[in-house]
Amino acid sequence: MIVGIDIGGTHTDAVCIRGRNIVATAKTVTGDDLVRSIREAVEALSIDYAGIRRTVLSTTLSTNAITEKKYAPAGMIVSAGPGIDPRRYFITDDFHLVKGAIDHRGREYVPIDPDEVTRVADGLKKKGITGVGIVSKFSVRNPSHETSICSLIEKDFEHVSLGHTLSGSLNFPRRIHTAFFNTAVMPVQERFVQSVRQALSELGIRSPLFFLKADGGTFSDSAADRHPVETILSGPAASMMGGLALCDDLEATTLMLDIGGTTTDIGVLIKGIPVLEPRGVDIGGYKTLVRGLKVISVGVGGDSRVSIAGGDIRVGPHRDGPPACMGGPSPTPMDALAVLGRLPQGDREKAVHAIAPIAGQLKQDISEVSRHIVSIMVGVIRRSAHEFIDEVNRYPVYTIFEMLHPEVVEPDRVMAIGGPAELLSPFIEESFETRCVVPDHAMVANALGAAIARTTRQITLTADTQLRRMICPELGMDEKISPTMSMDELKQRGERALRENASRLGILDKGEVSILEEQVFNIVRGFSTTGKNMRLKLQTKPGVIDEWGEA
Amino acid sequence: MITAKRKTGLIFFPAYDWEISPSHPERQERLLYTQDQVMEEGVLDIEGITEFKAGLATEKDICRAHFCVPDVESRITPSHNVSAGGCIEAARLVMEGAVDNAFALVRPPGHHAMRVVHGARGFCNINIEAVMIEWVRKNYPHIKKIAVVDTDCHHGDGTQDVYWHDPNVLYISLHQDGRTLYPGSGFPEEFGGPNALGRNLNVPLPPKTSDEGILHVMEHFVMPVLGEFKPDLIINSAGQDNHYSDPITNMSFTAGGYARLNEMLGPHICVLEGGYSIEAALPYVNTGIILALAGVDYSYIREPDLDPEKIKEDPRIIDYIKQLTDTLLDLWGSRDNYEVRGEEIVRRSRNIFYDTDGISENQQESVRVCADCPGVYKIDSSASTGYHILAVHIPWGACPRCREQGRAWFEKPGRHNYNAVYLQDMDNDEYTVKIP
Repeated sequence: MIVGIDIGGTHTDAVCIRGRNIVATAKTVTGDDLVRSIREAVEALSIDYAGIRRTVLSTTLSTNAITEKKYAPAGMIVSAGPGIDPRRYFITDDFHLVKGAIDHRGREYVPIDPDEVTRVADGLKKKGITGVGIVSKFSVRNPSHETSICSLIEKDFEHVSLGHTLSGSLNFPRRIHTAFFNTAVMPVQERFVQSVRQALSELGIRSPLFFLKADGGTFSDSAADRHPVETILSGPAASMMGGLALCDDLEATTLMLDIGGTTTDIGVLIKGIPVLEPRGVDIGGYKTLVRGLKVISVGVGGDSRVSIAGGDIRVGPHRDGPPACMGGPSPTPMDALAVLGRLPQGDREKAVHAIAPIAGQLKQDISEVSRHIVSIMVGVIRRSAHEFIDEVNRYPVYTIFEMLHPEVVEPDRVMAIGGPAELLSPFIEESFETRCVVPDHAMVANALGAAIARTTRQITLTADTQLRRMICPELGMDEKISPTMSMDELKQRGERALRENASRLGILDKGEVSILEEQVFNIVRGFSTTGKNMRLKLQTKPGVIDEWGEA
Repeated sequence: MITAKRKTGLIFFPAYDWEISPSHPERQERLLYTQDQVMEEGVLDIEGITEFKAGLATEKDICRAHFCVPDVESRITPSHNVSAGGCIEAARLVMEGAVDNAFALVRPPGHHAMRVVHGARGFCNINIEAVMIEWVRKNYPHIKKIAVVDTDCHHGDGTQDVYWHDPNVLYISLHQDGRTLYPGSGFPEEFGGPNALGRNLNVPLPPKTSDEGILHVMEHFVMPVLGEFKPDLIINSAGQDNHYSDPITNMSFTAGGYARLNEMLGPHICVLEGGYSIEAALPYVNTGIILALAGVDYSYIREPDLDPEKIKEDPRIIDYIKQLTDTLLDLWGSRDNYEVRGEEIVRRSRNIFYDTDGISENQQESVRVCADCPGVYKIDSSASTGYHILAVHIPWGACPRCREQGRAWFEKPGRHNYNAVYLQDMDNDEYTVKIP
């Protein structure tokens, strides 16, 4: 059995699956003590804990720590060399710029100055700072500056994160912010992982513990200790993965809507694969290198406040509380559905009472106004969804082949999950002019998404046969290679490294390795080829675990 | 978080699957390190700088600027549709107001391609700036006057040729002196056709010219001329081979210098041209240009191996450039003193060599001297490929007499055994080929 738990802002959902069967589901209210909420949700499942062989958590812990700035003060040591002034990316006074320059091929131009680094580290230590992030420009092409700074200072700090280990992608400002947030949330995550482990073991659960990442994959609790920043925004990832789990047609392009009380999250699954943010996700107003699903959130949901603005109906973006028909203070789209007789529960009288003033003001019939409210809400979602799709179709391409053979994303259908999904689906079908599927168990889709997500890992390999160097930043590999190394050899080398690493991470599946990007360039100097510049991105395929898929 | 002062659009199309030949300067690898640098610097995350997808230029777009012999399809590859299409996208973004300025960082380049195209010259098949300019004129008729400032190290003889007779397109080229570099042209006396005198301005610079020299020309010649010409649209042919590290030229310009030049010029659209120091120059020059366009501080952008003292020009070079600038400014000031008298038709004959494809062409050109419009012209062109054609160009805003003359030339080409006769009728957006 696998247990998936999604700790949302309002509710904590839990689900237990065996093969493709959902054995139990539970929903509890999220309290201030997240560990307790987890415990309550697991207990509410009433299952035999001994049969659990994997527990997966999706939490807002890191996300909230960052957005609410509830993290430990962390220092940053940054070496940049020429380029855009890196000080413009510094967030606190504890960011320090030191000497050192590396170019785009990983060649050192200016070495680091150990005395300067030690001085900076001493200063941070005196301030009582216990965590340091280390980032240098182009460290994914040559990590030696980050690693040398680390070896100079690591004995003095409890938590250290190195930029190149967090992502193999280029983007120095994002690397700075990613390493900073990672370092800052490390203590929070560590304490949390410890208490969750304890709580689960008190219940008698001995299974390995996994966390859901922003890209819809999972990683082990110990990896989450080192790279907690990867767990940010796992909530929307959980809902997209939940949608994927409940998807009956993996060949289709599906527009996913997770309609909540306050907001609706929109994403796309192309042939069973969720669309990713091309450069990394944003958190707390900062851009990071954290690989994450491309999900946009619009400020309309079932409980959105309905008001009149400029003589017309407005839905959202605020929520005052539950719908009027459930005892809330303001009219909401749920009330409109109640007026139309679509809502089985709730007090229709209260709904009528809440909507009536709006109908009066607009001098319209109350059912007409109610239909209007729902269509405005669905219209907002539709417009955002279209913008989302347009944006994906506008992604630039860099080869003539792709220019001449564009892959246009065009959803075949809509899948809606979340509380109001079922009720809204006929309106969605009408507005989107396409089929809208509401799967069973849509209420616990997020927890299910966590339960069935595969463990994933992505690595980036750069091999430069002229400089005779191969780097894999995520795995800390920096090796001398033969000048005749070929792309096939690089692939074999990368695949082997990824598999070894995958087993260490506890990847359960057979671990199908797929190629995300593959480029080979001849390095030509003085009119003759002097080497090859090869770039390769490999991953263990994200998606649904085999056990769920096969059954 | 950095916010740009101006909204800048970037069309990046490195054509990672196109090359002239594997070891040619125009090869897949050319923009690889530029992409790395731009990505690593986080340029695309700057608020206000946005990357857009390139487009595809159509055959008609290309026919507005060129007579392709025998036809468009056989003279280009899809890569040219994309690089010209990338320029058109850049122009569209600016014209629609989506951005304040845009940079088409595309390849292959185009400024050696002339109005008649028998093949490739100087790595260029079609003139991507000209295709873009004609697209703008077709779609935004209120754009009357256009200036192209070409800062590639090689004289842009193609752009000069396309607009030689056009008084509404001012072409200014700064380049290494043609006595020392391909294509060997680009001297001050190349001053424009009889109807467009002073609309073609060449600034041949001595080898080893560095930042001070080039920026002097910008400040004391290019900017005052633009101030008088008052263009509706400024385009920079942003070749990057004036850089001190370029392997096929001899200048000493820096990335910082290019950024400063761009800041001074304030172009609406930049188009990448040449530049073959793909590791030591392009990454830094392109980053500098993008930041300058967006109005973001570029003062820390610098080549890691830069030693400003080593590349500073000899004082004699500066003296020479100051004199040249004064002479050129006088020449520009006297542009209205020249006029062609007593001739209705002015003829010229010239030979053109297509170095990339090894083709020789002879042109006999006749232009009608006209006080009322830019003047109709025809080109009788025969090439070593065996093609002998006549091409007639009826310009934008042609007067009735020029139009009549152009139609007559096209209808009755005479007994010359032409393989084909071509017509560009700009106002009617009509591009016709007939086989006599």
